[in-house]
Amino acid sequence: MARQFAAPPEEPDTTDKWEAQMRKGCLEMAVLASLWRGRLYGLEILRVLERDSNLVLAEGTIYPILNRLRTEGLVQSEWVEAQAGHPRKYYHLTAAGRERATQMAKTWTQFSAGLGCLIEPVVRKEEVEQPL
Amino acid sequence: MTSDSQISDYLAQLRKSLSRMTISEREDIVEEIHMHIRERLSGPQIGVDSVLAGLGSADELAQQYRAGLLVQRAQKSSSPLLILRAALRWATTGVEGFLVFCIALTGYAMGVGFLLLALMKPFFPANTGLWVGPDQFNFNFRMGATMTNPSPPVHEVLGWWLIPVCLVIGSLSLALTTKLLQFLMRRFRWKVPIRGAAPARPVMMTL
Repeated sequence: MARQFAAPPEEPDTTDKWEAQMRKGCLEMAVLASLWRGRLYGLEILRVLERDSNLVLAEGTIYPILNRLRTEGLVQSEWVEAQAGHPRKYYHLTAAGRERATQMAKTWTQFSAGLGCLIEPVVRKEEVEQPL
Repeated sequence: MTSDSQISDYLAQLRKSLSRMTISEREDIVEEIHMHIRERLSGPQIGVDSVLAGLGSADELAQQYRAGLLVQRAQKSSSPLLILRAALRWATTGVEGFLVFCIALTGYAMGVGFLLLALMKPFFPANTGLWVGPDQFNFNFRMGATMTNPSPPVHEVLGWWLIPVCLVIGSLSLALTTKLLQFLMRRFRWKVPIRGAAPARPVMMTL
C-alpha cells in the first residue's frame, strides 16, 4: 500500500497577514469610492464600506485615514448640525479626490481583470495532470 | 465608573496623546471622536465599553493620527530629523521599514560625518584628512599623525582641499538620502502608517 504524504499545514496566520495587507492597500480607494455619491460622516462611511463591499474596519481606523486624506486635499470636511442632537463631521470629495478615485478605480479594474484570468482555474479547482 | 466619566477619561487621554498637534487640529479630532461615541451609544443597545473597545485605546488611536501625519509631513519635508523619525516609525512595522531605516541612518551618518570632518579641519589640520597608504583610503580624524610628519607609508593627500571636498560629499549624502527616503515613503505609503482593517471577519474580495 502506497504511503500518502500530506502537505504540511499552512501556518494559519500567513493568509490573515496577506489578507490584512491587501485590505490595507485598498483602504484609501475604498474610502474615496464610498464618498463618490455624496458627503458622508465617519460612521456612515464605515457602514457603507461594510454594506457595499464587506470591508469591515476597526472603527478607530477610519478617522486617521480621513484626516490624512483631508490634509492631502483629497477630501474636505465640514461640521453640520444634525437632527440627532449633536453635530456631525461630513466629508466630501474634492476635485483632486475625484480624480484620484477615478485613477485608482481604473488601475484596480485592470489589475483585477488580469489577475481574474490567472486565478480562474484555481477558483474552479480545475483538475490538472499530476506528474508521475 | 460611569459611562460619562469613562468617555471623559478616554477623550482626556486622547487629547494628551495628541499634545504635539496644534490646538485646533487636536480639538477637531477629539470632537469628532466624541461625536462618534455619542452616535454609537444612541444606536441599539450597546455599551460604552464596546464602543471604546471598537476605537482601540486612546494612545493607539492617537498613534495612528500621528503616524499618518508624520509620514505625510516627511514626504514633503527636507528636514533629516523629521524624515529619520518617520523612518523609525516605519521600522516598527516590518522588514521593509527596518531596511529603510538602516538606509536613512547610514546615509545621514555619512553626511554628518563628512560635514564634521570639514568643520574639524581648521581646528585640527594635522589630524584630519584623507589618509592614503597600502590597503588604505580613509577620510577620518587621526590622533597622533601629522601632515608634516606622517607615519610612513600612510600619508594625507588632500590638505586644505579636504574642506570643500567633505562639504560637497556631506551635503550630497544628506540631499540624496533625503530624496531617496521621500521617494520610498511615497512609493510604499500604504505600508507605512496604520492599523489595518479588522482581521477578525474574513472577507472574500470580488475579483
